[in-house]
Amino acid sequence: MNGYGGNILRVNLTTGKIAKEPTPPELARDFLGGRGFGAYFLFQEVPQGADPLGPENKLIISSGPLSGLLIPGAGKCDFACKSPLTGGYAGASLGGHLTAEIKYAGLDSIILEGISPKPVYLFIDDDRIELRDAASLWGKGAITVEKALKDQLGEEFQIACVGPGAENGVRYAHINHDYGRQAGRGGVGTVMGAKKVKALAIRGTRAIPVADLDAYRRAARNLYDACKQSELLKPWQNLGTTMVVSWCDEVGALPTRNFSAGSFEGGKTLYGPVMREQIVVTDKGCFGCPSPCGKYSRTKRYGTNVEGPEYETIGMIGSNLGIANIEDVAQINFLCDEWGVDTISAGGAIAWAMECYEKGILTKAETGGLDLKFGNVEAVLTLIPQIAKREGLGALLAEGTRRAARALGKGSEKFAIEVKGMEQSAYATHSATAMLLAYMTADVGAHHNRAWAITYDLQVGRELVNADKVARVIWLQHIRPMFDTLGACRLQWVELNIDLELYPPALAAITGVERSWRDLELVSERIWNLTRMYWVREVPGFGRAWDMPPQRFYAEPPKTGVTAGKITSLDDVNKLLDLYYEQRGWDANGLPKPETLKRLGLDKLVA
Amino acid sequence: MSARLHALGILKAYLGGKNEVVVETGNTVRETIRALDIPPEIVALVLVNDTPQSKEYRVQDGDVVTLMAVVGGG
Amino acid sequence: MLRLYAESAKCSGCRACLVACSLNLFQENNPKKAALAILAHFPTPGTYEVKVCTQCGECAAVCPTGAIKQNARGAYYVDFAECTLCEACVPVCPENVMFVRAELAPAAWKCDLCGDCVAVCGTDVLRIGEIEAKA
Ligand code: SF4
Ligand code: SF4
Repeated sequence: MNGYGGNILRVNLTTGKIAKEPTPPELARDFLGGRGFGAYFLFQEVPQGADPLGPENKLIISSGPLSGLLIPGAGKCDFACKSPLTGGYAGASLGGHLTAEIKYAGLDSIILEGISPKPVYLFIDDDRIELRDAASLWGKGAITVEKALKDQLGEEFQIACVGPGAENGVRYAHINHDYGRQAGRGGVGTVMGAKKVKALAIRGTRAIPVADLDAYRRAARNLYDACKQSELLKPWQNLGTTMVVSWCDEVGALPTRNFSAGSFEGGKTLYGPVMREQIVVTDKGCFGCPSPCGKYSRTKRYGTNVEGPEYETIGMIGSNLGIANIEDVAQINFLCDEWGVDTISAGGAIAWAMECYEKGILTKAETGGLDLKFGNVEAVLTLIPQIAKREGLGALLAEGTRRAARALGKGSEKFAIEVKGMEQSAYATHSATAMLLAYMTADVGAHHNRAWAITYDLQVGRELVNADKVARVIWLQHIRPMFDTLGACRLQWVELNIDLELYPPALAAITGVERSWRDLELVSERIWNLTRMYWVREVPGFGRAWDMPPQRFYAEPPKTGVTAGKITSLDDVNKLLDLYYEQRGWDANGLPKPETLKRLGLDKLVA
Repeated sequence: MSARLHALGILKAYLGGKNEVVVETGNTVRETIRALDIPPEIVALVLVNDTPQSKEYRVQDGDVVTLMAVVGGG
Repeated sequence: MLRLYAESAKCSGCRACLVACSLNLFQENNPKKAALAILAHFPTPGTYEVKVCTQCGECAAVCPTGAIKQNARGAYYVDFAECTLCEACVPVCPENVMFVRAELAPAAWKCDLCGDCVAVCGTDVLRIGEIEAKA
């Protein structure tokens, strides 16, 4: 099949059976690839009520039709499973080079099923596919394991692996690849660890077939030319996502001390240019990327190397923990990577614990003697391994903020900054209604990947609540995840401002099927509704209450910074949801209406 | 005494579609962009002669000030 | 005489150049069949190293069948029809960018200076320029 690896690989870890089946053409037609394949296989194959950490859950690793081709940033890989953090849909995106290698090995998706009786790693060298013993790797850090496997197997192998956090069931463990790229959110690493799969090592040496080689080469060249001619390329390359740190600080969107404010008095020392000057060694890009956002760094104080920190990490374990030194943030980032936990969720959970401590809800006895005040770097450096090992206070925080707050109680639920059980990523949304709605409705929980609307808020009026804003969020929720469906990066469009219309000709030349953005948006809408139906199926009583933002964003205006005194009202929160459900064709409780499912061709699948 | 101001991406719309305008010196970048009716809060990055600067930087003779909007973040 | 130059410090390891190269040499999407090499040195020191053909001609000098010829750009290229896969050229290449992988292609391959890698590299690592006289 043009543009595809052509096969789905199933690995049953319980029995050791490994089987390939051809990728169904209807699946490619209706769901395209990547995130679409992940959502489809999850809904279709993981039985209702499956234990996220049990043998019935599956980890579905998918490339898309653009992955591995000459397309800017064609290195995005989708990881889907039932989330151990939220109990609903988990879909995490990973950059780097893994997805390209999956395609070169003649595969589209790899589905890990069951649970292995002992630690293993999955070895794929074109058609040679084996489960290999991983006893000597178990317990080791993710960066260490990647290096060990590369040394043993050779540089051509691409590695994805988990750290101790995943082995020990931290609910937001990640999967690491390329020394610092992660499938970070929702506990996809936790599921891999529960399956006792320490790593995936893959090499493929085959070509990916395309429908019209000449048209493809022309379309590819047009995309690269557009990127290289963009005036935005140089500044983006220089700073990557850290470009927005100063801006967020200035407009009150930089999460500060558990999102109690949106500007940080120590912010200046975390700004992109400061980081560039002090610690960045090399620009690092994903497969095929002309605009590398990865900043590979080396800290002088700690002597460690780390990819990043990127914006989300700077926000979540920098300002949100009251930490103002970029080397400290980089070191915490390194520990998270090596121990195998998501920096965003870990930052969220620790910030919550710090607020508990400062309010006297957690005492020094309960923190194991840690003086868990905001800004205490040593305490955070101690806590990361504790979380990964589930020791001391780490055992509570490893459960994620929602569970931890419910277990502790004493009013701490009020400042648990999460939606659907997922810690909110690094945009403070006291006064930015589109971004707030984006977090409320993202299909994995409070993550920015699906829609990033905060600049739109600032352009049209941050407190405005109207149908246009809601429509903008929905449009973003269709366009941005489409990139994760196609297996390429959205940032060349987002950051370099290249024309979206450059993509359909490339996709058509590659797959031989003409599709306009309208067609692609319809596929996105189908996937969006399918993930929604997954929540409905898996979570008893699922509905509107699950889309409510953390109370802080409608009840507690910040006391400091540019958003001091500003807050979205509960009425406006509800109005946002009403408008959103109406435009989506969902009922007042947020459930897709039968006619909506029918229009999207989902009626039979979800019946 | 003058400097040039260069706007990238969506900010061009605020310069009436123009790429570049001549601006007075002696004011801060923030004052300068306010005078052009560009809301300072949508400007993510200020480069002066290719070096990042804050919006409180005072524009000097011969400077080339480049403004970049936040388009999409992460 | 022209050759390809690479400034490794600017490389971000994206491998776009490798795919562009395989599309030129073999009309295939397959970075394993490229005539330049990207070496990643991670996690320490955290740098990439780009290996490119300098058009020194050592390979052509040792090829027993004369399969390595010069094209209109003055670049040495492999005439696939005449290559016997003897591998004589591989060890003499000072940059390790003369490739023989019989499982992947029925002939040796090398850079023919098409320039496609230069066109896709977003960080200006690569350029084609006159061969500078050795100091
Ligand atoms: S912009 Fe960043 S995330 Fe996107 S492909 Fe490039 S390096 Fe990867
Ligand atoms: S295209 Fe440029 S940045 Fe990418 S691997 Fe090749 S030389 Fe490096």
